[in-house]
Amino acid sequence: MIKKILIVDDSPISIKIIKSCIPKDQNYELFDAADGQIGVEKYKEVKPDLTFMDLTMPVMNGFQALEEIIKFDHKAMVIILTADVQIKAVAKAHELGAFSVLKKPPAKESIAAAIKEADVALSERG
Amino acid sequence: MLKNDTSREMITVAETDLLQEIMNIAFGRAASDLAEFIDIFVILSVPQIRLLQAIDLPKYINMELKDYNTVSVVEQNFWGKFKGSAYLVFPAGSGRRMISLFDGGARFFDSEPTHEMEKETFLEVGNILIGACIGKIAELLGDVSTYSPPRVVVEKSNRGLVADNLFDPDSLAIVLKTVFEFNEKNVSGYLFIVTKQESFGWLKNALYKYLEQFE
Repeated sequence: MIKKILIVDDSPISIKIIKSCIPKDQNYELFDAADGQIGVEKYKEVKPDLTFMDLTMPVMNGFQALEEIIKFDHKAMVIILTADVQIKAVAKAHELGAFSVLKKPPAKESIAAAIKEADVALSERG
Repeated sequence: MLKNDTSREMITVAETDLLQEIMNIAFGRAASDLAEFIDIFVILSVPQIRLLQAIDLPKYINMELKDYNTVSVVEQNFWGKFKGSAYLVFPAGSGRRMISLFDGGARFFDSEPTHEMEKETFLEVGNILIGACIGKIAELLGDVSTYSPPRVVVEKSNRGLVADNLFDPDSLAIVLKTVFEFNEKNVSGYLFIVTKQESFGWLKNALYKYLEQFE
């Protein structure tokens, strides 16, 4: 069951928007990181059940961060939330092990549905 | 030395951050549109927002492009509540590498002068990237844009890219800049979107309205 959610995005306003889209009724514990490198460190520290990851970020981009996280935890549940919706970018994210890809700007419904989907997948894994 | 410090209070850090995020979404969508039209992967970077006095704008653009003696430019004006000019800039030599995007690598157009082919290529790429990017910014902020026909200049000096008299020198301009690369073609480019001070009031309101939907 999802309890801890990590949001990795270089835009503070984007983090705020994503947090506002996450349903409040489940009292998820929310964490955030301002670029891919901090995101990887934060992931290792808090071991979130679910991560929302941007792609276009300074220092370390989302592809690299996703790769590092999957290397550390091959069962990591990472949802890419990005403005870069090119077919090749989406395919690369899936290849690297992303659970799913959502496009920005996020909608409350799509975030809620993605969390639910991730929750189901997690409980099926046992 | 640029004089933008005097005008910092015109746009707050939070507004700049939101505008940067909107530019990120808009250019991401534009890249996706281009990638659907031609088989290419566009590597995106984090957009940057600068508030400048209009008089400093030519100096700023010259500084940004100082590594290139000559550039090719697609320039397009846009109107709506969000109004201004967009400049898509490619370093010299990019056109020849980009032509193959449209002819699939085959030399179908050997009889045409290269200069014309480069112009056509820039026009197509510019039309898609500028139109989709401005269109998405306008859509996200509840506006609709109309455009002038694009103007293409191939291989000109980077000096004087933006006319000194584009804006009233005492007015302010917001510059949205993004740098991108066409992975397979080893081509990089810049998109500058310059909006006039008269759009500021509307822009601030539109940014707050945009945020309201997430409250």
